[in-house]
Amino acid sequence: MIQLIFFLSIGVLLFASLFFLARRSPRPEGGSGALIEARQALVALQAGLLPIELVQRIFAEQDWEYVRSQSPAAVRELFLEERKKVALLWIDQVRAQIRSLSRFHRGSARSYARLNPRLEMELALGFAGLMFACRVLRVVVYVGGPYAAPRMVGAMANAASRACKISEQSLAFLNAAQLGMLGGRSTGAAAL
Amino acid sequence: MWLWLIEAAGVVVEFGLLFRGLRVRLFSRYYFFYTYITSVMLASALMAGVILKMPTLYHQWYWALQLATLVTGYGILLEILNHILSPYPGAERFARFSGLIAFGSVFCFAVIAPFFMPRWSPGTLTEFERDLRFVQALFISVLLAVIFYYGIPIGKNMKGMVLGYGVYIATSLMSLAFRSYAATRFGVVWRVGQPLSYDTSLVIWLVALWSYCPNPVPDPNIHLEEDYEALAARTRSVIGAIRTYLGKAARA
Repeated sequence: MIQLIFFLSIGVLLFASLFFLARRSPRPEGGSGALIEARQALVALQAGLLPIELVQRIFAEQDWEYVRSQSPAAVRELFLEERKKVALLWIDQVRAQIRSLSRFHRGSARSYARLNPRLEMELALGFAGLMFACRVLRVVVYVGGPYAAPRMVGAMANAASRACKISEQSLAFLNAAQLGMLGGRSTGAAAL
Repeated sequence: MWLWLIEAAGVVVEFGLLFRGLRVRLFSRYYFFYTYITSVMLASALMAGVILKMPTLYHQWYWALQLATLVTGYGILLEILNHILSPYPGAERFARFSGLIAFGSVFCFAVIAPFFMPRWSPGTLTEFERDLRFVQALFISVLLAVIFYYGIPIGKNMKGMVLGYGVYIATSLMSLAFRSYAATRFGVVWRVGQPLSYDTSLVIWLVALWSYCPNPVPDPNIHLEEDYEALAARTRSVIGAIRTYLGKAARA
C-alpha cells in the first residue's frame, strides 16, 4: 500500500509540473530583459523601498501613540488597518525585488560551463530561506499588526540595503549607454 | 470494441506523426524521438503478427518488445536534454549532476535493499517495468525542475515533446503501480488507461511537431562576469548578509 501511494504521488507531482509547464508563458526569460529587471529591482530597493526615513515612517510607533491618545476608537481602528496595508505592501515589494535579484543570479549562472552544482544548491537554499523569512514577517505583521515586529523590520531593511550594495557591484558593469542598448533590444522592458 | 478503436486511433496518429516528420524534415533534427516512434510502430506491427499467427507466444513477445520500446524511450529524454539545455552549459551541468544523483540513489537502493530487507525483491515483470518508468519519471522531474529554476525558454516542438512524454510516463507509472498492487481489481485501469494515455501523447506530439519551431537561443551579447566563482561568491555574500541580519533580529 505504501508503495502504491508513493508511486501515485510521484505521478501526481509529475502531472502538476507538466500542468505548470503547459501554462508557462512563452516569453523568453533571462538575457537583456533579466538584466534590466535586476537593475530596476536594485534602483527600486535603494531609492524607493529601503531608505531609513521611509521604513521609520511606515513603522513609526509615535504615529500610533499620537492617534491612540487623540482619536476615537473608530479612527484608531482605521489607522491600524491602513498602516497594516502599507506595511504588507512594503514587505511584498521588498520580497519581489529580492526575488528579482535572485532571478538575475540564476539567469547569469545558467550559462557558465564551470557552474558548481553544490554551490548552486547552497545558493538556492539560501534564497529560499530568505523568501521564507519574508513570508514569516508578512504573517507576523498580518496577524499582529504593523507594530508586531519592529526589530525584524529594521533588520530586514538593513540586510536588504547591504544586499543591494553587493548586487550593485555585480551590475556595475552596466553603464547608462549599455542599458540604453539593452533596453532597445529587450521586449517590453521599461527604460530606467 | 472500445479498446480496439483506441489502438487503431493510435496507429493512425503515429502514421500522421511520421508523415509530418518526413514532410517537414524533422527526422534529422529529432533523431532519437523519431527512432522511438518508429520502434513503437514496428513493435505494434510485430505484435499484431504474433497475435494472428502465434497467440500463445503473446506474453513473451509483449514483454520483450515493451522493454525494447522502454529503452528507446530514454532517447527522448536525451533529445530533450540536448535540445533544451545545450545552449545553457551551467544548467545542463546542474541537470546532469542532479540526474546522476537521482539515478545513483535508485541504483543504490536496488543494490543495497536486498541486504537489509531480505524479503524485498525486484518482483514481477510489471514491478520491474514500473521501476523503470519511475526512473524515467525522476529524470523528467529533474529536467523540469532545472527548466523552471533557471527560467529556460522552450520552443513549441520541445514543449510538446516534454508534455507528451511526461503525460505518458505519469499515466504509465500510476497504472503500473495499480496493476502491481492488485492486478485483477485494476485490470481495466491498465487495459484502457495505458493505450489512451499513449494516444493523448501522440496527439500532443502531432500538434507540437506539425512544423519546425526552433528553441529560443540565449542572447550571445550578454556576458555578465567572466568568472562563475566571482558571481557565485557575490551572491553567497548577499545571502549571508541578509541571513546574518535576520538571525540577529530573531535572537534580539
